[in-house]
Amino acid sequence: MRRAPRTLTVIGGSALTLSLLAGCAAAAPTSEEPVAGGTLIYATGDAEPSCLDPHVGGNYPQALLATQYIESLVSKNADGDILPWLAESWKESDDGLSWEFTLRDDVSFTDGTPLTADAVAANIAHLKDPQTASSTGYLAVGKIESMTSVDEHTLRIDLSAPDSALLDSFSMPWVGIQSPTALERGQDVNCESPVGTGPFIVEEWTRQQGVRLVRNEDYNSWPGDAAHEGPAWLEAIDWRFIPDAATRYAALQSGEVDVIDNPQPNSLAAATEDGPITAIAAPRPGASNRIELNAGKAPFDDERVREAFIRAAEVNDGIEGLFFGTVARSYSVLSSVEAESLSTPEYFDVDLDAANALLDAAGWTQRDADGYRVKDGQRLVLEFPVSTNQSVPAEQSLFEQIQATTKQAGFQVILEPLDLSSWYGALAAHEYNLVSAPYTKVGPDVLRILYHSDSTVPAPSGYFANLAQLKDPKLDALLTQASETTDATLRAELYEEAQDIVLSGYHVLPLYDQQNHYLHGEDVEGMRALPTVSTPTFFDAWLAR
Amino acid sequence: MLRWVAAKVAGGAFVLWAIATLIFFGLRLIPGDPAQALLGGPGSQASEEALALVRREHGLDLPLAEQYLLAMGRLATGDLGTSYSLRQDVLTLIGEQFWGTLLLTVLSLATAWAIALLLATWATRGSRSGRAVASGLEVVASAVPHFWLASMLILLFSSLLGLLPPVSVEGPSGLVLPVLTLALPLAGFLAQVMRESLADALESPFVLSARARGESETGVRWRHAIRHASLPAISLSGWAFGSLISGAVVVETVFARPGLGRSLLNAVTARDIPMVTGIALVSALAFVLVTIATDAIDRVADPRLRRA
Amino acid sequence: MTAPETAGTAYGTAHVAARPGARLTAGEVISLAVILLLAAAALVPQLLAPGDPLAISPTEAFQAPSWQHPFGTDESGRDVYTRVVHGAGQSLLIGLAATAIGIGLALVLGTLGAVGGRALDFATTRINEVLFALPGLLLALVFIAIVGPGVTTTTIAVGLSTAPGYARIIRSRILAVRRSGYVEAAVVLGHGPLTILGRHILPNAVAPVFVLATLGVGQAIVWASSLSYLGLGVVPPAAEWGAMLSAGRPYISVAWWLTVFPGLAIVATAASATALGRSLQSRTRQEQS
Repeated sequence: MRRAPRTLTVIGGSALTLSLLAGCAAAAPTSEEPVAGGTLIYATGDAEPSCLDPHVGGNYPQALLATQYIESLVSKNADGDILPWLAESWKESDDGLSWEFTLRDDVSFTDGTPLTADAVAANIAHLKDPQTASSTGYLAVGKIESMTSVDEHTLRIDLSAPDSALLDSFSMPWVGIQSPTALERGQDVNCESPVGTGPFIVEEWTRQQGVRLVRNEDYNSWPGDAAHEGPAWLEAIDWRFIPDAATRYAALQSGEVDVIDNPQPNSLAAATEDGPITAIAAPRPGASNRIELNAGKAPFDDERVREAFIRAAEVNDGIEGLFFGTVARSYSVLSSVEAESLSTPEYFDVDLDAANALLDAAGWTQRDADGYRVKDGQRLVLEFPVSTNQSVPAEQSLFEQIQATTKQAGFQVILEPLDLSSWYGALAAHEYNLVSAPYTKVGPDVLRILYHSDSTVPAPSGYFANLAQLKDPKLDALLTQASETTDATLRAELYEEAQDIVLSGYHVLPLYDQQNHYLHGEDVEGMRALPTVSTPTFFDAWLAR
Repeated sequence: MLRWVAAKVAGGAFVLWAIATLIFFGLRLIPGDPAQALLGGPGSQASEEALALVRREHGLDLPLAEQYLLAMGRLATGDLGTSYSLRQDVLTLIGEQFWGTLLLTVLSLATAWAIALLLATWATRGSRSGRAVASGLEVVASAVPHFWLASMLILLFSSLLGLLPPVSVEGPSGLVLPVLTLALPLAGFLAQVMRESLADALESPFVLSARARGESETGVRWRHAIRHASLPAISLSGWAFGSLISGAVVVETVFARPGLGRSLLNAVTARDIPMVTGIALVSALAFVLVTIATDAIDRVADPRLRRA
Repeated sequence: MTAPETAGTAYGTAHVAARPGARLTAGEVISLAVILLLAAAALVPQLLAPGDPLAISPTEAFQAPSWQHPFGTDESGRDVYTRVVHGAGQSLLIGLAATAIGIGLALVLGTLGAVGGRALDFATTRINEVLFALPGLLLALVFIAIVGPGVTTTTIAVGLSTAPGYARIIRSRILAVRRSGYVEAAVVLGHGPLTILGRHILPNAVAPVFVLATLGVGQAIVWASSLSYLGLGVVPPAAEWGAMLSAGRPYISVAWWLTVFPGLAIVATAASATALGRSLQSRTRQEQS
């Protein structure tokens, strides 16, 4: 058992960029002086948000955009250390139940409203208000019970239980701080033009086309790890929605756009070979991309069957071929970004004979004419609903390969590509044996959301995050204790022990980090991904043309 | 004539009502909670309070019959409602997207016409082998799927030659590939129809008499034959318009062009009931209007039809 | 795109019969050869491609066409040639089934409209107008929005959207045939209305529709593949041309063979069906004139 190596490459001291090849660092210091001005065109393949306010709902496409105009109380540097941002400093009480945040006193929102303790309190109240229909931010501030403004720039927050993940939560764009004056305009207006303190301002949102962002001339709240001071270099960002990956890449190649996200693996591989296009790899924090094995019902309620599946599923060749060598196999439930990530390759050796022996031992001794195993007249069928919104084509191909390799052991995997709402429906109805569900959250506390038995109880919406249906009192105790402890070493030990329970019980098949890559053209300089949830920030970016 | 127009308008109104009704009840049959779809998004889990609020806001907690009557009443006053996924007035959204799609379809129709005319004249005047090639081209062109053609055009003109942008950009250069993608298969169809009527027209008595009067072959072709050959193709314009609208769904998606087609596809995946209904109604309305217009032109042009 | 409705107006009221003695043109020979090859691929794929279309070999992914893999390999190392051959059955089945659904529905609508009296004619014409007003993919999309995606849905959706065109032709043909001499003769002879409909009117009214159907099969395949491209049709890893095309499209810049070969298969099928349909059409027309 060994700890996952950190794959971060720190470049240029301040700008932190995760890069695949040492030679193609995006934010590498150049001899050229940054040039102010120009419009950068960003083409996103993520869905068009239905609301630009990341409090509402709270998904990754919103975070991508919100990073440009909304800022958080704290940030993170490349080493994972918390940095002050809108909050200058903070104090935790000895019992961990009360926090005091001191805010910067010189920051204003772009509508002129000053940043105050009341403003932050209004934001947290906005997240907790059911009318906001927040989910990600709502869960993140779940332990906050009350807020008191001690003075104009000091906010006291009281918790229902200690929360070691509070600062991580506050660093996420979904808990970003917006102008309370703007929030009062009502949700329809605020979704259209949210107001934050960021380096850019939402000017216009044309549906199905894009969002126009212009420079905030009075910007003064850059985080400590920024490369320059003063307003952003870029005059404006033209944020376009181009859902087709091949088209998006062709647009980058032809210079129609400057930056794209969600590139195809083959484009990514080509980019690192070619000169003009540069890749930035920014794995998302939280959980890795993994397949959960539903232990809540047959046949995976039997550990031998779970182990047999994992022994039979050959994925390494597929990951290598489908992703053109751009991703590394993960053996951990956590993203390699998380310091607490535990990597256990020894649980994941592929061994068809062992798989067959395990299935024989579990009573699946017969095979039918198609080669599938049968027990008591029942075929060894595994339902695998796949969200086509969340699994990229290469990942869907990988699932097809798992289907083909596990067939040799006698499993019949049924892949069901579904749109998002049908996919949620299948999960809520427990109609799955296998599922791959991404979850992005800053910090290892994501383990509690994913594997604590409380998360098997459906939320009122019908969704439960513990899709592996893990109900282990020992694991619950470890996760609760870890989320309440303030001792970093103890916390790391607790999380390591918790991960070992999940991995050694064959509850998950880890695949790789949640892929997150940006490609940019040769005249884009100084772009980097924010180390919180790996969204791109263009504060330091400039165009060399 | 007035009665004819009144009947056509009443027929059109019926079509719109029937479509609205079918979609309304059809979409209620699908599994999945529309309130959930309203709040849906990757990774988001709405709370029960939020769901209840959304249901109340959108009238999803009322009995079905009441919801239906309310919806039809609003439609009758031209209120298409608010999009679930885009949270904006559907009519405004459609207004934003409409012109892009209209420009695309009109340009494609014109281009298809021009190509078809060229192909048809070439096919009827050329040698035997030239005819065979032209008719082969027509058949192949009409058999090409839009999305495949689009991929091949992007591969050729953008990736290999670097001549044209692969996505919709400001100005005419961004329109070339989308228009070609839509126009080529349609041109194949139109050329087939035109070639046959052109061949017929060239054999007709008035063309023979024009030839007998000593008119040049080109003169005959352009002055008489093409005009007559175009008539059946003109009456196909209603159908062609419809096929272009459905082609726009694919083309707008591939070239990232804003438009009704792409909005419809998004609305279908997001189960955005007001948006699906709105776009279906608007394109049906456009189709009904185009059909009435071509019918009227036919009636004016051909008095025999008035008695029918 | 369905065959334009006006294509049907080309038919007169004479009995339809193909002329067996006519010489085949080069185009017809090529089209027939393609159709025969397809039929072989659909019925006995193992004869043309003995391999397993689903067999993966991840280490052999993205291989360019070679003697071993004439059409190259796909992202999971599957042999593209084998998949194209085995995909013929699925694609043809969708094309035929969709056309059959379209014509079946059209027969009902068209016949009721033509012989069912004023009220029925009014009703079926209205149904037709509604179907017409949502052209092609729009009707299919709305239908899929309601029922959900999948092979069956795609087939029905495509069939539904082709129905109104066929229905109009059938209705006008029946009306024309009914006014013709031999039907009047049958009436004089005292045959019952159902006998006349079944024995005289329908066979003559429906024959040209089968010619149109030849055109329709190709278009139905093209449509179904478009729906697969939009993510609403056949589910991978099934070997179906449209699904293969959309699965290969992301890799178009590194592996052109993934898009080119299934695309060519669709175009060849649709073009051959169209060419055959058109020559059948002109042959029957020559017969009449």
